[in-house]
Amino acid sequence: MPPFTLGHFSQVCCQLLNHYFGEIVGQVGAYLLRRGHRPLFDIPCATGLSIAEVKKALAVMIQHNLVKFEASERNNNIAEYSIIHHNVYCLLRYPKYLYMIKRIYGTSEEILLEILLNLGQASASNVIFQSANRLKEANDPSALHQSFLKLAQDNFIIRCPKLADNANMQKVPTLVVEEKEKFTVPHLEIGPIAKLLKENATQLGEHSDSEVIWRVNHERFDVELRNVILVNAAARRVDSTAGELYHLILKLWRECSNPDSPTTNALSFNVIKDAVRKNEGSSPVLLEHFEQYLRVLYEDTSSLITKVGDAGGGQFILNYSIVFENLACATLDSIVLERFGSKALRLFRLTRIQKFMEQDQMQNIAMIPAKEAKMFTYKLLEHNFLQIKELKKGTSNFAPVKSFILFHVDLPQVARTALEASYKGLFNAMVRQMHDLTDNKRLLDKHARLETLLESLRGEGLPEDELAYLSDSMTAAEKSLVARIHSMNDHLTLGQTQADDTILILESYLKFSSMT
Amino acid sequence: MAAPVVIKKEKVDDPRPSASADAGEGQTEAEIERRMIELMGEFPKGINDKILETDMPNVDKKIKVAILNRLLSQEKVNIFRAAVTKELFWCLKQQPTSKLKGVDSEEKIVMRIIEEAGNKGIWNRDIRTKSSLNQTTLNKILKALEGKKLIKSVSSVSAAKKKVYMLFNLQPDRSVTGGSWYSDNEFESELVDVLNQQCYRILQQKAEGAKQKPLEGPLIVRNASFLSSKEICQIISDLKIVKFNLTVEDIETILDTLVYDGKIEMSATTDGYSDGQVKTYRTVEKLLSSAGIVRIPCGVCPVIKMCGTVGAVQPKNCVYYDQWLD
Ligand code: SF4
Repeated sequence: MPPFTLGHFSQVCCQLLNHYFGEIVGQVGAYLLRRGHRPLFDIPCATGLSIAEVKKALAVMIQHNLVKFEASERNNNIAEYSIIHHNVYCLLRYPKYLYMIKRIYGTSEEILLEILLNLGQASASNVIFQSANRLKEANDPSALHQSFLKLAQDNFIIRCPKLADNANMQKVPTLVVEEKEKFTVPHLEIGPIAKLLKENATQLGEHSDSEVIWRVNHERFDVELRNVILVNAAARRVDSTAGELYHLILKLWRECSNPDSPTTNALSFNVIKDAVRKNEGSSPVLLEHFEQYLRVLYEDTSSLITKVGDAGGGQFILNYSIVFENLACATLDSIVLERFGSKALRLFRLTRIQKFMEQDQMQNIAMIPAKEAKMFTYKLLEHNFLQIKELKKGTSNFAPVKSFILFHVDLPQVARTALEASYKGLFNAMVRQMHDLTDNKRLLDKHARLETLLESLRGEGLPEDELAYLSDSMTAAEKSLVARIHSMNDHLTLGQTQADDTILILESYLKFSSMT
Repeated sequence: MAAPVVIKKEKVDDPRPSASADAGEGQTEAEIERRMIELMGEFPKGINDKILETDMPNVDKKIKVAILNRLLSQEKVNIFRAAVTKELFWCLKQQPTSKLKGVDSEEKIVMRIIEEAGNKGIWNRDIRTKSSLNQTTLNKILKALEGKKLIKSVSSVSAAKKKVYMLFNLQPDRSVTGGSWYSDNEFESELVDVLNQQCYRILQQKAEGAKQKPLEGPLIVRNASFLSSKEICQIISDLKIVKFNLTVEDIETILDTLVYDGKIEMSATTDGYSDGQVKTYRTVEKLLSSAGIVRIPCGVCPVIKMCGTVGAVQPKNCVYYDQWLD
């Protein structure tokens, strides 16, 4: 099944599955991406894989929460499998997740999360055990236990749903999760874990909480990733202290609001003030000018904070749909600027701000010579950044109908176009990366083998000159090529995360704008 | 067809009106009336109660109103109400042109049509359809009128080849000449660009200066980064970049382009000394330094539509990536 029958987003997903789980999972994933809900026996025929392979692939994807199953509507004895698109896409964000957790908490939490991401889903004891093994903190896993509790408490990890009570009666089991249990960690027995670690065991075996399975909570990470963008925006608009304040307020909002709602609940001036006072990390500048900072933020046209009332010294909310509309606009502006230049940007923004514009008006107000203005307008039109609306006005029965061509920006549509292009760009960067790596696979493998060999020999205390001799088995040209490939690879990885930033903004905008 | 044309000797803004001629109601009133019209000549934008009050404090309000009403009914003055203050203003009515001596009736018709078009002017063809004269006659008439310096032709910026006609003494409208940014019907885009950058630089410097006092808090910093259009106009004029006299409106159109560039924001404040609202400006940062996607070649790629895993343009042999990765 050639991948180009898929949309760009699905292609990205497919590439990710291939990359993380290998070709077989990739094939099954691609099939499900293309066909939606499918029963098991359809998949081998279409993909040419054996049923055992398909089963295994599905099991892997279910373990990682990338595929879900439901009883078919036609026959509830048959399970249908479907891809959870967002979760597959989030594979791309795993490095960001780790980095974020490391920044917020520290290394041990990062390791816990990394283990959990590798396992897909696992019990708390298991994650702690494996992390301790990795960290070689054999003696005391209880610190890791505390870290785990923190992650659960801040909702970065979440309990998997359990089998429903009536599961035995159904061929296709349904899964349920108790709302209030979602983030509660059951009692763990740390003692046995510590003992096993001392014995250098590699497997945990039976444990008390083996029934309570955890996985990563993508929604929570989405919120956090969005907040990073928002804090950066606040810091750009005012200064880093404003960013600090905004970070704090975002945290308060998150604690008091439903993550899926397009606006947060209101916070009062006094609550925010209290939080700033109580926060140990608050900088002296912020403490001194708290009121000014808050005011500058809510008076800013970017609507990072919206004032909704005066009770309690002022009531403040975050209106996600407006803020992300502004961010999406900033994103589109940046794309237009880079692709078509500053004059095109002026025309684009002018049209967006004024809603509907005639060609003449555009060039007059934008003060761009007619010829140039026309050229840019049509370029923008061609690439779908502008839309046309034709107005017909019949002045009387016999006079010819007058028609006006009006330009305007259909923001959701433009955002969708840009989003598609971003998926495609991301996919291309991934393809390019894969290509560069596979093309030079032999060389890279050789280099890696040599490096490990040298490492171990150095450990054994081989004299330096002999090591140097060994290391010369690769020519300097080869070595510099390897270095180049590595740096290119890093470049491409960075590029992908940057493309993902844009995607996150545009996706969030479309999501929130469709809610209101 | 042709309505009777009032023939008057005075020029439009001649302070000596015909009022004295038909003043039948006593010396003082005629004098007051004359003075009023004189005042209206001095204040072409119109006079209001205040002006009248200071100029002739001794005259009874009722008499003033009566005289003004009479002038109104004689269609010598116009009355209007200011948009903001809701104050009443009186001003001299633009008198229909008065130099129609020796003009025959066809010429009169054409004159009327041109006059109606005001300072926006009117195209030859439109005159023809309105007057139902044939082209040759019309051309003759237009030439004659031009020769008598009653009308003039102005070439319009919106369509360089088309000339519009208007009364000789009128100042062509901005839409015809294009305003300050046109010289000889050429749009001076370079000048606009230079001013656009200059204004931005001025505002940037102001913002930089404001940031030097971080101890006073962000609100102070923000408020100190504003400049009004008047101030900017002054600075630009002092720099002597332009040869003509820059008006505040001229600068505001330039500042508008910066607003549309997303580099500055405008806010209107009412405080200050001048009458209406003051437009003030400051630079703003964008919410993002740049969209992440434009930092990879595909984000700005001109051929992304053609690019795919098959065909001539493919990521694996893409030259943009080759350059970018180098
Ligand atoms: S891979 Fe190259 S050709 Fe294809 S879209 Fe990206 S930059 Fe353009």
